Amino acid sequence: MITGKKNIVIFTMFMFLCSGFSAAYADLTDVDQIVNRTNRIAYYQSTDGKAKVNMIIYDSQGRTRERRLTILRWDQPDPDGKAGDNYCGAQKIYAFFDRPADVNKTVFLVWKNMDRDDDRWMYLPALDLVKRISSTDKRTSFVGSHFFYEDVSGRNINDDTHELIKTTKDYYMLKNTPKNPNLVEFAYYEMWIHKVSFVVVKTDYYDKENKKYRTYEALAVDNIQGFPTVTKSKMTDLRTNGYTILEYSDVKYTISVSEDIFTERYLRKPPRTYLR
Amino acid sequence: MNIRKKIAAFSINQYKWVTTVIVLLTSVIILMAALPSIFPEKFPYLNSLRVDTDPENMLPANEHVRILHNNMKKVLQLYDMVVVGIVNEDHPDGVFNTKTLNNIYELTKFAKTLHWTENGEEKGVVEVDLIAPSTVDNIEQGGLGVVKFEWLMSTPPKTREEAIAVREKALKIPFLNGTLVSEDGKALAIYIPLTHKDLSYRVYSALKQKVAEFDGDEYHITGLPVAEDTFGVEMFIQMAVSAPAAMVVIFILMLIFFRKLILIISPMIVAMVSVIITMGTLVISGFPVHIMSSMIPIFIMPIAVLDSIHIISEFFELYQQTRSRKLTMIKVMDELFTPMLYTSLTSAAGFASLALTPIPPVQVFGLFIALGIMLAWILTIIFIPAYVMFLKPETLEKFGAVHIPGKEETLTITGKFMARVSKVTYRYAKVILTVAVLLVIFSIYGMSLININDNPVKWFTPSHPIRVADRVLNKHFGGTYMAYLALSARDEHFDRRSFARTFRTNAERRITSLDFREAASVFNEVINLIAKSAMTASSSKEVYQNAMDFINKKLDTTSDAFAEAWDEVSLFVEEEKQKNQIFKNPKVLDYISNLQNALLDTHVVGKSNSLADIVKTVHRELFEGKPDHYSIPATSKAVAQCMISYQSSHRPNDLWHFVTPDYRKSSIWVQLKSGDNKDMSAVVDSIEKYIASNPPPIPLKIEWFGLTYINVVWQQKMVSGMLEAFAGSFLVVFLMMTVLFRSALWGILSMLPLTITIGSIYGTVGIIGKDYDMPVAVLSSMTLGLAVDFAIHFLARSRQMYLSLHSWENTVPVIFSEPARAIGRNIIVIAVGFLPLLLAPLTPYKTVGALLAAILLVSGAGTLLLLPALMKVLEKPLFRSKPVAGQCCNCVACVVSSVTLVVLIALTLDSFAQVSWSTLTWFVVITVPVMALGCGLLSRREKCKILTNEEVI
Repeated sequence: MITGKKNIVIFTMFMFLCSGFSAAYADLTDVDQIVNRTNRIAYYQSTDGKAKVNMIIYDSQGRTRERRLTILRWDQPDPDGKAGDNYCGAQKIYAFFDRPADVNKTVFLVWKNMDRDDDRWMYLPALDLVKRISSTDKRTSFVGSHFFYEDVSGRNINDDTHELIKTTKDYYMLKNTPKNPNLVEFAYYEMWIHKVSFVVVKTDYYDKENKKYRTYEALAVDNIQGFPTVTKSKMTDLRTNGYTILEYSDVKYTISVSEDIFTERYLRKPPRTYLR
Repeated sequence: MNIRKKIAAFSINQYKWVTTVIVLLTSVIILMAALPSIFPEKFPYLNSLRVDTDPENMLPANEHVRILHNNMKKVLQLYDMVVVGIVNEDHPDGVFNTKTLNNIYELTKFAKTLHWTENGEEKGVVEVDLIAPSTVDNIEQGGLGVVKFEWLMSTPPKTREEAIAVREKALKIPFLNGTLVSEDGKALAIYIPLTHKDLSYRVYSALKQKVAEFDGDEYHITGLPVAEDTFGVEMFIQMAVSAPAAMVVIFILMLIFFRKLILIISPMIVAMVSVIITMGTLVISGFPVHIMSSMIPIFIMPIAVLDSIHIISEFFELYQQTRSRKLTMIKVMDELFTPMLYTSLTSAAGFASLALTPIPPVQVFGLFIALGIMLAWILTIIFIPAYVMFLKPETLEKFGAVHIPGKEETLTITGKFMARVSKVTYRYAKVILTVAVLLVIFSIYGMSLININDNPVKWFTPSHPIRVADRVLNKHFGGTYMAYLALSARDEHFDRRSFARTFRTNAERRITSLDFREAASVFNEVINLIAKSAMTASSSKEVYQNAMDFINKKLDTTSDAFAEAWDEVSLFVEEEKQKNQIFKNPKVLDYISNLQNALLDTHVVGKSNSLADIVKTVHRELFEGKPDHYSIPATSKAVAQCMISYQSSHRPNDLWHFVTPDYRKSSIWVQLKSGDNKDMSAVVDSIEKYIASNPPPIPLKIEWFGLTYINVVWQQKMVSGMLEAFAGSFLVVFLMMTVLFRSALWGILSMLPLTITIGSIYGTVGIIGKDYDMPVAVLSSMTLGLAVDFAIHFLARSRQMYLSLHSWENTVPVIFSEPARAIGRNIIVIAVGFLPLLLAPLTPYKTVGALLAAILLVSGAGTLLLLPALMKVLEKPLFRSKPVAGQCCNCVACVVSSVTLVVLIALTLDSFAQVSWSTLTWFVVITVPVMALGCGLLSRREKCKILTNEEVI
């Protein structure tokens, strides 16, 4: 478990790193503004990017499974260029599996749409099969880990109503309640957002009995090319006591990846140059 | 004055002291047992009352199957389950109507809340593993080329179409069909996993309350943990009822026999104190009260009053002759001391022999009853005389039989009946013997038909809700009895040379498939590294680790030209390493499917679920749901990719109930329609045969676990253990009888009635088709100790009386007056005393009650008919030889008892010290002649020629 103390250590360091670009800050009171900035930091920094992800899934008995994948991201350009910090548009994500060896070359492709359900494909090389996956429900496990698809691609901010519960010295605390509770397994979730960087450091999910059952924590944050980036995170299932740790390495922004890569054609023929 | 008289005189003279000591001792025991149970925090050093209702504890904790069971449960995260079945036979759509599904949704939500935090530990329902329509995933086609994972029933349906759709979807998923939904759509089952089995009664009660709110459907709650836990709870209620009921019955019977309330209170006190001290000692010494030990009071109670009845009977006969309490009591005690000692010793030995069974609760049960019996004996000989002294002479004024010389005695009903029996035995001795022989033949035939079987659910009477649920649900579903077939990889033998050779061959094959030049040199570098490392490493894991460390170092430093080659070799090494993940191997998965078919062929298994089913289902849905793709894909990579697809669901962890994350252990979840041990055994046998003729494609360890199977294991141990215990106690009792009568012939004679009794009872059990189950098994060795009582009293008295009457013809009427009457009273008291058990709602108690009554009646009859008939026929050999002086003076008796003793020692060594039978045979072969020689010498001593009547019983 990561204590609050450790978080503070990370963030003191982090504030130093990004003090260059953070303007003198007064507390925000507009919840939408906080939500938009947070969403951008979490999912929309620069216009594209790549990262190598090492995923370790721990079960309650401490047994582990490891997965290694490379994620490429491409954002739909802001049509009028005016959204700025509040940008939130369509995205394409290409996840290429490297390990375990027997799922090597498996690919997940996601087109994140703002106005309709996402489009999702997977390519299974051993069956030589490209398959579309229905994605009405995004709260299913991401390849057996404790993260959900939605945690990886980002939950649409319009699906919840947001309330600013409190503002502490370092954090905004938001309570998010789903507009359609039948589509999700949580009753609400609370986010702790770092005031300077707008990085989500912790999210607690509560069930219908008001019991906390799932927790996300950012364990390390780096400044990469000027972008505050979570480089280690953890999702814990409090019901089973299993958790998953994601470690990001080789994070690069603004890599000028072509949009063509994010098509069915490239599922069978991975774009080596971007994945190296 | 001999020791017998001395003891009686002591307790008569010191009667106040004796009573005070008994009262004090009893109080101390009560306090020591009760205080820590009521205030556990104040008495941390004392053991408190612990209750154990878990039949698993019939096996010692270190028993292989229990270790395996617990280990597999842990590694596969399996839990014992409560099953709730919902049945609707009336609605045209069965349970798949909006109202019922709404109720089921509601019930599932309720079941999820049934967990509590106790001592910082989360206990109760395991929410994430609950199997219900709203908690399981459906995988299906979501339009052209689209595969869809979604909750089977995320919200309760609003229309008939939606309700029926739930059924249609579930029936298409092999894992759910026959498990969650019945094929006819009339029934649906929810599987509620529990963290701890002993919470099932609590969960059961909560669910029962909840389903009472719903109407229109039948709700049934079952599952082996529920049956076992409920049995435990009801058993204690039962004990609170049966033991006092037995007490009341015995009290009433004694009142009828002796008509003196004040006098018959004393045996009740003896019985109560024996029970309290025994149970108190059980608690104090830290043993849990188990299903078996809860029956201790009801066994001690009737046995404890036996000796008192003899004393009071005799006192009743003699009191009016002297009208002195003291003199009468001393005379009575002198006469009865030895038979009472022997009957107590034999009963105790019978129960104590249960310690020879390999089942801990049965051992505790046997030993504590033996303790209780000896305690009752001590109490009888010291407390009954003391008690009599408390009575004022006036109260005994009209007590007892008045014998007026010269006047024909008016006989009681028992008296008249006994007189008639005595004539019958004398006149029709040969007829009785013929009947006995026929009975033996009948018994042997009957015993050959005995059906060894047990089923904890059948411990309830057929009308009990758990039995009803069991019947209904097993009609609709694959089965509510769970067993698991564990398959594990055998530890690989690390052969350095062949390991390096195989790696080289596979690597060289890979090189040829790669089309860039750098590959060959990089691969060869790794091949050489591995060949070298294999020579020093201790496992393949270590070799791979060395190789990967080397490759990763290279990957960090290499130039771009070689990077791809190093990537390839890294992938290759990882692939080789993964080859030990045998449960991704398609051949192994196909073998699992074949095993499942073999399971279905037994017709006891209604359904089984496995890793192979999951892979096949995913494979089918990936290929448009076409039935011909319901198969294991061809390569282990394809299997792995099906599994990773499956894990993109709401319940990724379901996979880990079927295989461990290292893919080295797997298990098949087997649902049986019957929990009968014989059915489980049949499945075990046929799978063993299947495996013998169809060995797995790679070596696998295949073992059973699960509650249904554990029951089979302890039953098998029980049966063989009981046989050994029976043999042991038979020999002990026989040895005691030979010693008591100083004659092997008399010893054999005393064993005959009970042998025929036990034979005929078990013969009857076989013929009427009653299953030989736990209670029936336990009864065998303990009835032995009880039934020999009658023979001891009968034979000891006969021999004593023959000395003065000189012929059997003269002895018969006398023996059938007082001694036979006391025996008759005893038979009735014990047999009837056990009868309240028949009122119990739990069948094991009923069985014990009925069988004990039957055994006592038959052995009583055997004693009173067979023994006199035999004695008439064998009068000469029995009474020919003059009684001998010492134990070792009868050569035959000495040899027989020596041999018995040797065999007994051998038997004990076998069951406790695990000495092999060949060693034991040598032991027997050597010791027997030595002892025979010893006996020969001893019996020819000078001392043996002197005969004194004093020394004879």
